[in-house]
Amino acid sequence: MGQREQATDGEVVRAVLAGDVEQYAVLVHRYRDRYARFAARMLGSLDAAEDAVQDAFVRAFDQLAQCREPAKFAGWLFLILRNRCFAEQRRRTREGRGLEATDEAIAGPDRPDGNVEQIEQAHALERALVDLTPEQREVFVLKHVEGLAYDEISGMTGATVASLKMRMHRAYDRLRELLKEHT
Amino acid sequence: MRRVAVTLTLTAVAALRLAAQAPDVATRLAGRVPPEVASAVAGIAASAADRGLPVEPLVQKAIEGGAKGKPADRVIAAVRALSDQLAAAADALRSGGGRADADVVEGGAYALGAGLGVKQVQQLARASHAPYDAALTLRVAATLAALGVPPKTTVDLVEGVISAGRPPSELLDLPGEVQAGVARGATPTQAAQGLGHAAAHAPPGGPGGAVPPGQQKPPNPHKP
Amino acid sequence: MTKTYHPLVKRLLDGELSLSDLPLELRGEGAEALRLLGAVDRAPVALSAQFEARVMAEVRRRAGSPMRRFWRGLVEPRDIELRLRLRPGIVWGAALAAAAALALLLTRPSQAPDGARPVRLAARDSVYVRFVLYAPTARRVAVAGTFNQWDQNASPLARVGGGGVWAITLALPQGHHQYAFVVDGGQWVPDPAAPGVDDGFGRRNSMVAVTARGARIL
Repeated sequence: MGQREQATDGEVVRAVLAGDVEQYAVLVHRYRDRYARFAARMLGSLDAAEDAVQDAFVRAFDQLAQCREPAKFAGWLFLILRNRCFAEQRRRTREGRGLEATDEAIAGPDRPDGNVEQIEQAHALERALVDLTPEQREVFVLKHVEGLAYDEISGMTGATVASLKMRMHRAYDRLRELLKEHT
Repeated sequence: MRRVAVTLTLTAVAALRLAAQAPDVATRLAGRVPPEVASAVAGIAASAADRGLPVEPLVQKAIEGGAKGKPADRVIAAVRALSDQLAAAADALRSGGGRADADVVEGGAYALGAGLGVKQVQQLARASHAPYDAALTLRVAATLAALGVPPKTTVDLVEGVISAGRPPSELLDLPGEVQAGVARGATPTQAAQGLGHAAAHAPPGGPGGAVPPGQQKPPNPHKP
Repeated sequence: MTKTYHPLVKRLLDGELSLSDLPLELRGEGAEALRLLGAVDRAPVALSAQFEARVMAEVRRRAGSPMRRFWRGLVEPRDIELRLRLRPGIVWGAALAAAAALALLLTRPSQAPDGARPVRLAARDSVYVRFVLYAPTARRVAVAGTFNQWDQNASPLARVGGGGVWAITLALPQGHHQYAFVVDGGQWVPDPAAPGVDDGFGRRNSMVAVTARGARIL
């Protein structure tokens, strides 16, 4: 396990394509949690996030031959996951079900310092995030939860920085409106 | 200031709409082309879709360019050019009074690209009543034109096969038969005209009567 | 109706400005906005312990049979009747580095025996089409086209006999498909026996028309 873990993404992808399917476990292990938080925030529940991330890994395996730059597996996996999240949200909208922010799933573990007011505010914000459009929610999560810069988000998603800022600024206003109702 | 606000709003609407459609195109292109190609193609596809044009050929062309290792600007240019050809075909078909289904528009684009004129595309589409499929007719015509058969002769040949009531699958045989004629020393025009004559006078069961060597009747799937 | 944030406050939230950069009259609004943002929960989310096992189980299932990639949802080929239909006028060329000829074989799948998976009648949906290429000096040959996302790793041809002939049989849905052969990973070779279509990149692609009655190269 030690030797395999040190292999680069590119090396692992090439090994899998050459027929060593078991090596794919290295990539699954390496990236299983990296995007779990993103998926959970996008879809509003841990269960949905787990399904989405699992599906993304399986699709990435199916299409591995088309990963043009094996060294950039992580970014490519992200795009597959991102599109899976959008598709899931569209499906739910079509079925008339919105996202449901379930308290147990997305707010994360209770903080050991136990500041009740902070925890309640966090829950309120999570519920408000669910009311944003998928595009607004995505840019908010990538910037303020994942801590990415606008140009990084632009590189990952293909949207321009200008349009990302547009969505983000609308998200800010919408969140303010939603949380004002709450307080 | 107001103009800026309007521009920003339009940009926002366009961006949101692209974002809504883009995931479908973006999903297909993720990992297959660089991000700038994916976004450019998503934009071209969105505006093609707005005009009622088929999007699938554009996505396939981008994937093809990526697979063939073409530089980003060439891929984008090829997708744009294809979009223009599809638009020209759709215009030709609609103004000819025909339906502009995705398949037929694609066939029309090939036909225009192979050198047939708008009028000829319209003629062929009109002639392709059931059981003839306009998409197939146009593609066969495009192939004949690519073989060097002049446009008018192409249309005459195809219309001749249709009006003689030959089975639609015989349309598919035309390019091969023209090539066979050329291999025997005829010009493409002569080969095509010879076939046109044969189609008009052939007994039912096949042009010229004789079955060329190597060809057999299709096996009956219902035979034990 | 709640007032929207001032543009400078939005830039504060974006991280482009600090609170002290804001004019005095906006600092209250700025502080309120920062408190909103401060409530964001950035705690990592962990997936279940069985996650990796479930992914790998599915991955192994998909990797299990090379045939699965071709025949997804379709019947395993059994008792295929081969029908050789040579295009008239084909020239079986000399030993060039690139392809010299193509023959297209039409096949029709028969009903699967009892107990097998339900048959999706290929006559309605798909037709087995065999691609053959004469390329005696090639080390690898594949076919790539609109039916496999132009992926030269998806459909590698196998050598047939010892005479430099390569072949593969694919189930193609009805319709029109563009394709080309890929020789030794880098050389894209259309069918030399048919004019095909301009690929938009300065070369040509071949086209095959698949109908319920069979397939033809155009």
